[in-house]
Amino acid sequence: MRAFLAGFRLELRIIRAAPDAFIPLATAPLFALIFLSIVRQSGRPDLQADALMAPVLMTLWWIALQQAGNMITGDRWEALLEPLLATPANLASVLLGRIAALTCFGLISFLEVWIVGELAFGVSIPFEHPVALVVTLLVTAFATAGTSVAFAAVFVLTRNAYTFTNSLSYPLYLLGGVFVPAAILPGFIQPISTGIFMSWSADLLRASLKPPPIDDLWQRIGVVVLLGALSFLLGRALLFHVLRRMRTNGELATA
Amino acid sequence: MEEVSRVFEPRKKPPVVALDGVSLSIPSGEIHGLLGPNGAGKTTLVKILSTVLLPTSGRARVLGHDVVEETKAVRPAIGIVFGGERGLYWRLTGRQNLEYWGALYKLSARETKARTQRLIDRVGLTERADERVETYSRGMKQRLHLARGLVGDATVLFLDEPTTGMDPLAAREFRTLIAELRREGRTILLATHDMVEAETVCDRVTLIDRGKVVATESPRTLGRVISRFQRIDVEGVDGAVLDQVRTLTGVSSVVEIDGGARIEVDEEGATQVVLGRLVEAGATSVRTSLPSLEEVYVQLIGDRGLEL
Repeated sequence: MRAFLAGFRLELRIIRAAPDAFIPLATAPLFALIFLSIVRQSGRPDLQADALMAPVLMTLWWIALQQAGNMITGDRWEALLEPLLATPANLASVLLGRIAALTCFGLISFLEVWIVGELAFGVSIPFEHPVALVVTLLVTAFATAGTSVAFAAVFVLTRNAYTFTNSLSYPLYLLGGVFVPAAILPGFIQPISTGIFMSWSADLLRASLKPPPIDDLWQRIGVVVLLGALSFLLGRALLFHVLRRMRTNGELATA
Repeated sequence: MEEVSRVFEPRKKPPVVALDGVSLSIPSGEIHGLLGPNGAGKTTLVKILSTVLLPTSGRARVLGHDVVEETKAVRPAIGIVFGGERGLYWRLTGRQNLEYWGALYKLSARETKARTQRLIDRVGLTERADERVETYSRGMKQRLHLARGLVGDATVLFLDEPTTGMDPLAAREFRTLIAELRREGRTILLATHDMVEAETVCDRVTLIDRGKVVATESPRTLGRVISRFQRIDVEGVDGAVLDQVRTLTGVSSVVEIDGGARIEVDEEGATQVVLGRLVEAGATSVRTSLPSLEEVYVQLIGDRGLEL
């Protein structure tokens, strides 16, 4: 837990010291405008709230994936990885803390799209189930961080993480039901979506903005947590093997 | 360390032997210097002992714990300081850097803060502790590196070229700090190519070259190893006497300098013979000296210039 908190605090300090961490937040209002324009043009005002949730999920995922991709590589280039590994702290926990700080920071995008909806189109977010909404956002931030640790482990093996972070984003937005509910995707894709935490998060977020009661709310939230935790454990195991390989090959440091 | 070897196998290049059967034992509380030219294998050895690099063969233990199999026991007990400017979060302040590293050693928040402040004072960064590391001079970064190595209150410290970039005054303060750490009972492995540093602070020195241990002795004993290479500075003798000295057994060179000469011998017992001849000839001043550690280093490893 201390390693997690150390990573969380470190990343908050880095965010405060480095304005470039705010860049992904600049895209959320733009995507909100695009999606709102599309649903309004299509004559579907019932989908306006859904259109505002998509940029929030996209921002969370983009921040997490992009930073996760660069975190280990960056530490390696700055000769920070070796001293970190020589401490008693578990690297996966430190990473989880750092990425969780970023995803919590990314929740600011929710406020952004709220303001943009109100100012640009007079669209309010209908807080029909506020508790469900808040809890879903928080567990989504956690699951995003947990999943990103798994990707971080894989990215260490690549020479250019940027390529992967860019090309992995949109398939996940699609499979995760960010743009449209996974239930209306082609049938053969749906089983894949079920295994992706974001499809559960997206459905829950949309449901929390609609009047009908949310079926199996806590079970579905539990699935998001479980998928996030499983991804983290997978990432932790991957990281162990990747680091062992790097220690064997002498690849932890760059010249 | 028992017969520790490390071979790097870069892609499409021949293997590089960084360590070749190194055996070394450092008792608790000793300050041990690891002396060698660039590429000798010093950093590789430090990395293996600090658990971040696996040996190709052989076995290494720190405080009795295997550095490959028992990393969880080794890591809380060690602190490492790698030289150079990297290794710090340069957008954060010195204090924030230390607090982060302290938290990684599972210290409580209160203990982390208290220890951070103590270390900041100890390495002389009190005035600049709350400024970003990117504004620090190279020497200040090096001192922060040192504080980072100490933040876990390590029993065993690995210092790899810790005075790189320090000005002479800071380097002297560093040696004072090392002496303090010795009094606290810590064991220190100091990898350096600075002879004066090794000679000043180390109890024993291991000379390493091309991945092999050349010798392990106290700095003074190492000097004696080649005491047969003793030199004699003499004044007040004429050229004829010096010509006679040149013919004596064991005299390797006689160089005349400003009314005097420097005589070098390369055989045990030759010094006494030369001294006797010089006194007989009425020399006004005769001085013998032992080689410095630097001379030992050059003698044992060879003067390769910039060649690795």
